[in-house]
Amino acid sequence: METYQIYSLTSAILFIIGIGGIFMARHFIKKIIATVIMGGGVFLSFVSFAQRDAITFADPVPHALVITGIVVAVASAALALALARRIYQLTGEETFTNDK
Amino acid sequence: MMIKEIITVILIVVGCFFFLAGTLGVLRFPDLFSRLHALTKADNLGLGFIAAGMAVYIASPWAALKILSIWVFTLLASSTSCYLIARFQKEQEQPENRKEQE
Amino acid sequence: MSILIDILLAIIMVYLAIQCLLTPRLIQSVFLFFAFGLGLALAWVRLGAIDVAITEAAIAAGFLGVLFLDALKSFAPKVSVKQDNLEDIYKLPRRNIKSLILPRVILVLGLALFLFIALEAVWMIPDGGGLTASAEALLPQSGVEHPVTAVLLNFRAYDTWLEIGVILLGLLGVFVAGGIKLYKKPGASKPDPMLRQVILFVTPVLFLFGAFLLYIGKTGPGGAFQAAVLWGAIGILLHLGGKPIFAMIPRWLFHLILTMGLGFFLVLGFLLIADGRTLFEYPPAYAGLLILIIETLGAISIAAALTAIYANLNQMEEETNEVEPTT
Repeated sequence: METYQIYSLTSAILFIIGIGGIFMARHFIKKIIATVIMGGGVFLSFVSFAQRDAITFADPVPHALVITGIVVAVASAALALALARRIYQLTGEETFTNDK
Repeated sequence: MMIKEIITVILIVVGCFFFLAGTLGVLRFPDLFSRLHALTKADNLGLGFIAAGMAVYIASPWAALKILSIWVFTLLASSTSCYLIARFQKEQEQPENRKEQE
Repeated sequence: MSILIDILLAIIMVYLAIQCLLTPRLIQSVFLFFAFGLGLALAWVRLGAIDVAITEAAIAAGFLGVLFLDALKSFAPKVSVKQDNLEDIYKLPRRNIKSLILPRVILVLGLALFLFIALEAVWMIPDGGGLTASAEALLPQSGVEHPVTAVLLNFRAYDTWLEIGVILLGLLGVFVAGGIKLYKKPGASKPDPMLRQVILFVTPVLFLFGAFLLYIGKTGPGGAFQAAVLWGAIGILLHLGGKPIFAMIPRWLFHLILTMGLGFFLVLGFLLIADGRTLFEYPPAYAGLLILIIETLGAISIAAALTAIYANLNQMEEETNEVEPTT
C-alpha cells in the first residue's frame, strides 16, 4: 500500500460523501459545503496520481490544475453563497421550496 | 547528534501533552470563558514547545527564525480572537452594559 | 510506519466530511468545514504538493470559511446567541419521516453502488506516465525554476489567465445578487480598539509575507495565488477594522486594479501573436521578467476581487429596502 493509493481511495469516498450531502442536506449552506467537499475529492485524486507519476519531482500539471481549480471552486461557492443569501433575504426560505 | 534528537523528542512530547490538556479542557470545561482559557493558553504553550523542538531539530538560524515567527503570529492571532470572542459573549450576556458604554 | 499517519489522516478527513454534513447546527458545520480544509491541506503536504497545501489552507479553508461564517449571521439574524437556546437556533423543522424512507433507501443504495465503482476506478486507473518528463525537459526555457510555477504561468498560462477572469465573473455575480455595496462605506461598523491595533501591526507583515511568497514562487512553493490570498486578507482585515480601502479610493482606480491582471495578460497575448508567436509563448530571454510582472499584477487583481467579494457579501443585508439605482 503506497501513500498515493490511500489518498486516491479517500478521494473516491469524499466524492461520494459530497454527492450524498448535496442530496440529503437541506440548508443552502450545507449544500454548498457538500459541493466543496465533492470538489476536494476530485482534487485529491488528481494530486495523488501526480504523486504516482513522479520522476524527479511530482507531475506539476495536475498540481497547477488543482491550484486553479481550488480558486475557481471558491469563486463559484462565493457566488452560490451570494445567491443563497439573496434568496433568504427576499423569500425567507433557507431550503429549496420543493424540499419541504 | 543523539543529544539533539533526544532534546527534540522531549520538547515535542511536552508540547503534545499541553495540546492534549488544552483539548481536554475545551471538551470538558462548562462555559465559554474557561474553554477559551484552555484553548488559548495551553495550546499556545504546546505550540511553543513543538516549535522549539522543530527549531532544535533543524538547527539552522534562518529556519528557527521562521518557526519563531510562526509561533509569535499564532500567539497574536489567538489572543486577539480570544479577546474578541469573550467580548462578544459578554455583550450578549449583558446588553445593558453595552448601551451604557456607547 | 509513516503510512499510519496517512491512514489516520484519511479517516479523520472522511469523518470530518460526514460529520460536517450530518450535524444539525450550521455553525458546527462551518467549523467542521474549517477543520476539513486544514486536514486536506495536511494531505497535500503528505502528497508533496506544498503549493496546493498553501492555496488550500489560505483560500479554501480560510477565505471560504470566512464567507460561510459571515453568511451565518444573515441566516439567523434575529436570535440572540445565548446558552439556553443555542441548540435550536440553526435547526430546521423536521420533515415527515414516512414519506422519506423510500427515497432515502434508494439514495443510499445508489451511493453505495457509486462508491464501489469509484473505488474500483481509482484503484485500477492505468499508469499513463503523466507529463512530468515533458515538463522537466522544458523547464530551462520557462524562465522559472519551480515546475508548478512554470506550468501555471508559462506552459498553461491560458488557464491562469481565464481563472482570473472566472474570479472577476464570480465578483460580478456577487454584485448582481447583492447590489454593489462596496462603493459605500459600511455604516454601523465600529471596530474594537484592540482589533484595530492588531490590524495596524499585522497589515505590513502580511504585505511583506505576500511579497515574499510571490517572489519565492520562482524557485520554490509559492506564487501569485498564495500571495493574492494574503493580500486579500489585508483588504478583509482593513474592512473589519473600519477602513474599507476600496470604498476610499476613486471608482475608476478600483476598476483598474480589478481588471489589470486580466488586461495585462490579454495585451501581452496579443503582442506575442503580433510578434509571430502563439498565445503566451514568451521569448525565453524575457520569460522570467514577464512572469514576475504577470504574477504581481494578477495577485493584486485577485486580492482586490477577493476583498470585494467579502465586502459585498458582508454588507448584503444592510439597507434591504433601498433599491439600488441602476445606470
